[in-house]
Amino acid sequence: MDWAAILYLGVTFGLFAIFVAIVIHTCRDKHKETGEAPKYTMLEDD
Amino acid sequence: MEKPVYNTDIVRSFVHWSLLWGLVAILVGVIVSLQMVEPDLNFPPYLTFGRLRPIHTNAGIYGWGVGVIFATFIYMVQRLCKTPLWSNKLAKFQLWFFNATIIASAITLLLGYTTSKEYHEMEWPIDVMVVILWVVFAVNILMTILKRQEEQMYISLWYMMAALVGVAILYLVNAAALPVSLFKSYSAYAGTNDANVHWWFGHNAVAMALTAPPLAMFYYFLPKTTGVPIYSHRLSIIAFWSLIFMYLWTGAHHLLWTPVPDWVQTLAMAFSVMLIAPSWGSVFNGYLSMNGQWHQMKENYLVKFLIIGLTFYGLQTLQGPMQAIRSFSAFIHYTDWVPAHIHMGTMGWVSMISYASIYYLVPRIYGRELYSVPLANMHFWLTLVGQLVWSISLWVAGVLQAGMWNATNSDGSLTYTFMETMVEMYPYWWARAAGGFIFFLGIIIFIYNLFMTVRKGKDVVAPIVTAAGRN
Ligand code: HEM
Ligand code: HEM
Repeated sequence: MDWAAILYLGVTFGLFAIFVAIVIHTCRDKHKETGEAPKYTMLEDD
Repeated sequence: MEKPVYNTDIVRSFVHWSLLWGLVAILVGVIVSLQMVEPDLNFPPYLTFGRLRPIHTNAGIYGWGVGVIFATFIYMVQRLCKTPLWSNKLAKFQLWFFNATIIASAITLLLGYTTSKEYHEMEWPIDVMVVILWVVFAVNILMTILKRQEEQMYISLWYMMAALVGVAILYLVNAAALPVSLFKSYSAYAGTNDANVHWWFGHNAVAMALTAPPLAMFYYFLPKTTGVPIYSHRLSIIAFWSLIFMYLWTGAHHLLWTPVPDWVQTLAMAFSVMLIAPSWGSVFNGYLSMNGQWHQMKENYLVKFLIIGLTFYGLQTLQGPMQAIRSFSAFIHYTDWVPAHIHMGTMGWVSMISYASIYYLVPRIYGRELYSVPLANMHFWLTLVGQLVWSISLWVAGVLQAGMWNATNSDGSLTYTFMETMVEMYPYWWARAAGGFIFFLGIIIFIYNLFMTVRKGKDVVAPIVTAAGRN
């Protein structure tokens, strides 16, 4: 494997790790209320 | 807290101009579809299929699609952030520069100046204009988000930010070129690299201009119209990040069976199939938001546009991954199947959501009730029928074309000449032109209805939030 391939794989897995962290953070029960709160602001008058 | 004063004048102007460019795009669409069946309708050198086709595609994507993005983003960002636009002057400059860019593009394309890269045909001086235009727009929206008075970031804002950053990166990378004269430049990349960069741009332009912004609009205007919140905000966030993570790798599905390395093609294929999940995450979220509200599909023309538009998005994102599979691609690539896919996206998904957004905006920015709900309903049916006739006729044509190209005699020679396969397309191309004409009638009625709303619509004292769309 050359350096370009290693860098390519590194970036891919790095991005994947960030993505997984976001999903875990969003799905946590602790985050349930704050995560759903924005949708109710849509019912306010413009 | 005092209610902020939002800039609605600029939203009005962007609505007017995007309607004009939308009308031009669709009219030229009908003309090019007729040129394919009646060669006498080509008037060289300027008004030939070859010159008008890029006018149609660019006016469609950049004049109509992006014009509506400008109008709706400026409207939504102020309300989602509960703060006025960061700079009204910059927005005014953006409006005139936008029109100047569209007009300069149309003139140079008619004169035959082109980079020949699809969706990026305009030569380098216009690239510079596009970059200035987008930077001005992005800075204005991002600064408005930065000074927001609302702590919560609703999902539409995420899609808006993705579009702003995404388009900027894609356009800049693909625009890298060496100018050799005022209207001629050569790409900075060569051979397969050039093709790879170009389709990385091409497919992500679909993501950042034709997917993320309509999703931002859908998530904003659906709850505003139905009066109930979306099903799950967290689901929308997860779908958003997965879409962002996956889209960037899929460009090479436009280059299957080409000299681009096999592993790049396989990667694109795998990520394209994975894209079903985030796309349908949004589709399910939209459908589930209608729980207990399905009766509004009958009563509220806005809901019809939004939900059928979303359904087209769902179908588009099932068909797209299928086309990204090598064996399937070998059959349909280069055939009329592909324009049918594209127009389900542009006429079904993008235009339906844009129509709904403008129907929502106009009564509010003018303080008038919509002139005629029956006309809006008629517009809906013309759009739906026009789009279905357009796409279905070309799907059938594409399968027939592929079948004829692949047919061989027992000695291995081709059964049909290319000319024979072309002649076979004529009835379907006529049907496509008819579908396009029906769709075109729809936009005429739409514009008439909006014009009459502004001229003759009844004044509304306070903006109506949930009931305006009902008949
Ligand atoms: C999961 C999502 C999607 C996937 C995987 C996908 C996949 C594809 C593939 C494989 C092609 C190339 C077909 C060929 O030339 O053989 C294509 C073309 C195209 N798609 Fe999609 N598609 C998706 C969604 C969309 C959406 C939402 C739109 C919105 C309008 C769209 C617009 C287009 C356009 C404009 C082209 C034509 C590019 C060209 O000029 O060759 N696609 N798509
Ligand atoms: C009345 C409606 C429309 C008609 C009759 C129409 C017609 C056509 C025709 C005849 C072509 C050339 C196909 C070919 O080369 O084989 C085309 C291509 C295209 N049109 Fe449209 N169109 C319509 C609406 C739209 C809209 C609203 C948009 C965008 C918002 C759009 C975007 C495109 C794109 C991206 C292509 C390139 C397709 C490709 O690469 O194969 N069209 N259209």
